[in-house]
Amino acid sequence: MTGMKLKLIYPEEKIKEPILSKLCKTFDVDINIRKANVQENIGWLELEMTGDESEIENAIKWLQQQGVEVSPLEGQVFTE
Amino acid sequence: MAKIKALKCKECGREYPVEPLHVCEFCFGPLEVEYDYDEIKKNISRDKIKKGPVSLWRYVDLLPVENPTVGLNAGFTPLVKAENLGKELGLNNLYIKDDSVNHPTLSFKDRVVAVALSKAKEFGFDTAACASTGNLANSVSALAASAGMNCYVFIPSNLETNKIIGSLVFNPVVVAVDGNYDDVNRLSSEVANEFGWAFVNINLRPFYSEGSKTLAFEVAEQLGWKTPDAVVAPLASGSLYTKIWKGFNEFKKVGILEENEKMPRMYGAQALGCSPIYKAFKEGRDWITPEKPDTIAKSIAIGNPADGPYAVKVTRESNGDMEVATNEEIIEGIKLLARTEGIFTETAGGTTIAVLKKFAEKGVFDKDEVVVAYITGNGYKTMEVLEGHLNKPIHIKPTLAEFKEKVVGQTINK
Repeated sequence: MTGMKLKLIYPEEKIKEPILSKLCKTFDVDINIRKANVQENIGWLELEMTGDESEIENAIKWLQQQGVEVSPLEGQVFTE
Repeated sequence: MAKIKALKCKECGREYPVEPLHVCEFCFGPLEVEYDYDEIKKNISRDKIKKGPVSLWRYVDLLPVENPTVGLNAGFTPLVKAENLGKELGLNNLYIKDDSVNHPTLSFKDRVVAVALSKAKEFGFDTAACASTGNLANSVSALAASAGMNCYVFIPSNLETNKIIGSLVFNPVVVAVDGNYDDVNRLSSEVANEFGWAFVNINLRPFYSEGSKTLAFEVAEQLGWKTPDAVVAPLASGSLYTKIWKGFNEFKKVGILEENEKMPRMYGAQALGCSPIYKAFKEGRDWITPEKPDTIAKSIAIGNPADGPYAVKVTRESNGDMEVATNEEIIEGIKLLARTEGIFTETAGGTTIAVLKKFAEKGVFDKDEVVVAYITGNGYKTMEVLEGHLNKPIHIKPTLAEFKEKVVGQTINK
């Protein structure tokens, strides 16, 4: 079991969809939301996802396929 | 550890022990070093600083390190009075803080990495790491080599290896990740949390970022223990910018600056092709909407900047402003600084100069105000951006006649 702190940003057209609920039904991960701002045109969440490493990585890939922007809590650390 | 009280969450204020931690476990806010300023005030003085080493370590009383061991020659770079550039921009007291000649790898990153790896040694880490192909990778690789530490550099695998020759020479392990830079970010964060490594801008971030305060300390000392009226600096993650502000404020707090010393107005520079902090500032938001960078200013192309909201706050608090520069303006900025002051900077510096010029033209600076522009990196590392933008050589046959016709005739008195 491992945990990963993530920031999720929803595009406007995805705000009405129950994405996190579907995620927890599809993958064996737990979600603990720590901070969020969801309005009619913006939605972001900071959360901790726990589970097996591969399950977390698959869950992140699935979220990205749904159009959700997923980044580590640290933001972009890579620089060219 | 008398000078440091704890690590403190910037959001909720919860305190943590001084350990390699960077995120508040409760609200997920970033942690920052909390100093005991009363204690520091008793120990620090202008005299003591002046007798200190000619490096950033002369300010060790305000840095989160007890015993500096890495990057002992970093910092204390020149503050150049830019007479020629000042004349062009109508500024009588323009200065360039020139970190293009920082030791050992010619960018401001040598400051933050010197602090991060000195702290890493104190914590007992034997391995340094970062995710970068540029200035950060250069600095971590060089300073880890000199510190006798193992070093891992993470990069996306689709980048050409020649981009990292300046790091490879120091013999780090380069991990080419099969994915884009978002994948490298996520993997780096996982590695930092799983392995006992000093990932300089992840788990050591609270200590690493403090190194940028020395950019303010040095300028204040070099101006004769005064603050400038205005500062222009690049915005990437927002960390350097907010720490320059913190540095000036700390110097006042511990009595190095006079009690009535005015804090500078802060002006931030972003590239148009990656300007999430500028947009948040202009739209009055306190959150950042991430962007996919598309700019030649790659060293400051951070589409999802961790300290963006704090940079917005500093700009508002200091009565400053932000501006953006196009690719063409960035190139012109590089050329302008080179032509007037003989300083060759990279695209981040070009962005800063382009934005300085815009603000000067808008008249936001009084002509006699002291304005400092921060040049954070060296142009010799990214010369390819100038291809096609510079004058070509004049080709002649080896005869005096051709020299007179083609060189003298076309250049003298021109």
